[in-house]
Amino acid sequence: MTDILSGISQEIISGIALGSIYALIALGFTMIYKATEVVNFAQGDLMMVGAYVNFFFVSTLLSNSGEPSTWTFLVALVCSIIFSVLFGFFLDFIINRPLKDQPIFSVIMATLSLAIIMRALVAMIAGPIALMPLSPFGDGSITFGTIVISILDLFIISSAIILVIIFYFIFHYTKWGIAMQATSEDPIAAQLMGIPIKKIYALVWIFSALVATLSGILLAPRIALLDTSMGFLGLKAFPAAVLGGFGSIPGAIVGGVILGVIETISLGTLSFHFEWIKEINDIIAWFVLIAVLMVKPDGLFGIEKVKKV
Amino acid sequence: MKDRYDHENLYWIPILILFVFLLPVFLKGVSFSYKYYLFVLNLAGIYIILNVGLDLLSGFTGLVSLGHAAFLAVGAYTSAIMVDQLGVPFSLSLILSPIIVGLFGFIIGFPALRISGMYLGLTTMGFGFIVKRIIISFREWTQGSAGLEVSSPILFGYTIKSDWDNYYLIYTFVIIAIIIGRRIANSKIGRSLMAIRDSEQAAEASGINLSQYKMLAFFISGIYAGLAGVLFAHTSSFISTDHFDILLSIYFIIMVLVGGASSIYGAVLGTLFIVLLDNLFVPLIEDQIQLLFNTQAGDIQSLIFGLIMFLFIIFQPMGLYGMWLKMRIYWKLFPFNPRQRFT
Repeated sequence: MTDILSGISQEIISGIALGSIYALIALGFTMIYKATEVVNFAQGDLMMVGAYVNFFFVSTLLSNSGEPSTWTFLVALVCSIIFSVLFGFFLDFIINRPLKDQPIFSVIMATLSLAIIMRALVAMIAGPIALMPLSPFGDGSITFGTIVISILDLFIISSAIILVIIFYFIFHYTKWGIAMQATSEDPIAAQLMGIPIKKIYALVWIFSALVATLSGILLAPRIALLDTSMGFLGLKAFPAAVLGGFGSIPGAIVGGVILGVIETISLGTLSFHFEWIKEINDIIAWFVLIAVLMVKPDGLFGIEKVKKV
Repeated sequence: MKDRYDHENLYWIPILILFVFLLPVFLKGVSFSYKYYLFVLNLAGIYIILNVGLDLLSGFTGLVSLGHAAFLAVGAYTSAIMVDQLGVPFSLSLILSPIIVGLFGFIIGFPALRISGMYLGLTTMGFGFIVKRIIISFREWTQGSAGLEVSSPILFGYTIKSDWDNYYLIYTFVIIAIIIGRRIANSKIGRSLMAIRDSEQAAEASGINLSQYKMLAFFISGIYAGLAGVLFAHTSSFISTDHFDILLSIYFIIMVLVGGASSIYGAVLGTLFIVLLDNLFVPLIEDQIQLLFNTQAGDIQSLIFGLIMFLFIIFQPMGLYGMWLKMRIYWKLFPFNPRQRFT
């Protein structure tokens, strides 16, 4: 009995770490959805691009200086952040501005095609061989009783918490954040109140590119091999966001963590006890998605929308 | 009073059908590698059948489906299992499998009654993953991810084997599919579907039964995809779950959108454009690009598809068929063109 319990708690911890990544990706497109009503299917690929760019900076720095040190990773992080800010601005320019008044079908397809383009370009530039990213935290771990937590997981969880707090603060308590909320409520009224909504849209895209890059940097050492299929992980953040209620920041976090825990538990303990779970554990996120949409389409934290004629 | 099809010029349709049936003879006369061209055209034909159905669902009704490869997979596997393992004759499977896939579409359409827009896209995408996984897990019948060999179709005692025979089999059904698709689009059903796309509330207020018509759209789309699946399984003689990837579903939507959503001819044009581009144009430039970058073949293909899609959405949202319509109006009004209308 005790080893089942400790096994489950071990899986819950690593599930929370995985779920934090999902939550960060979900946070990225929740922000875009809140402000511009655009659903960004390219978020996972933004994350992939971020991971690749960071890898590129780390390896260039290493080839210049030799030994990896804390400074190497810090400088690479800052460079990646600068890149992601520019990239987010660029995305706003090519996706959001031309497609402002188009139907949602076109916007979905535009972001999807952007995802395909990014994946193909990265694969062309980086070559078909999977890369091995260096972990800035080594492979150390901490032991609590029977539970082992790797430092990387601990770092992922804590930085996810810090990022979420920062974004929650920005969204609810700063001038720009409140302007973003007003824009998402009613862009025309916001414009009449003197809010520069073009700048707000650009800012939102920059923020979400930033979150995607950071989650990519955090995720890359965890999956050990870096290739372009990492973008598909971003698709799994959609069930997370839907579970929490699309367009709500706490919902994205809770949904992501729940989904991560469900996934790791079904991969581990449950699949030892039930044979049939082995068959479905890589698509369990989609079962969750369909179940949530059938039962409660607004998710756990969503606000029910009334459609006006 | 005018009849329903009187305003359309239908004289060129028999000529087009004649052209479709004489094309292989022409190709054989012109080129030595006509078999490859026929193979590409067969693939295009199968995709045309599927995309006509997808257009009725996504273009006319506005229900985005990002899991249409799953429908194709269900059709292909149903027919393969029925013909090879249960001993059903091919001609009967040609009728039964589309109906089974249509019923499957019914099941997938069930969530569509409550959700719409991008949620529906996500749900159908999820169904795509789930179907793929379920097909793998029924190992006794489908042989898992190893793939399944399928026998050649036998119609009226005649075994259809070569690309040449397949061409005539597939294009017979393509023509029937397009004609039926046009009829559906111009009938009461088609107009109701378009009304649902434009405004659900207004459609409901004018007496259209929303749930009935949405389910009907999924059913029709499923029948088309099932027919395409049967033809795909038996003409390519080997199917595996790798053929029915999520990317294929996205490519289907790309084909419909590039051709022009909510027009049957648009879906046909878009499919031909993309499939011919993929199989005839991409290999030409592939070697040059591979000198510059160390790439896989699929990357160049998806880069080109993505770029085409993106440019079409931004600069030509009506697609190829919309371009053709604009050109036609332009020449009709030729000396007196109001300038702003054609920007």
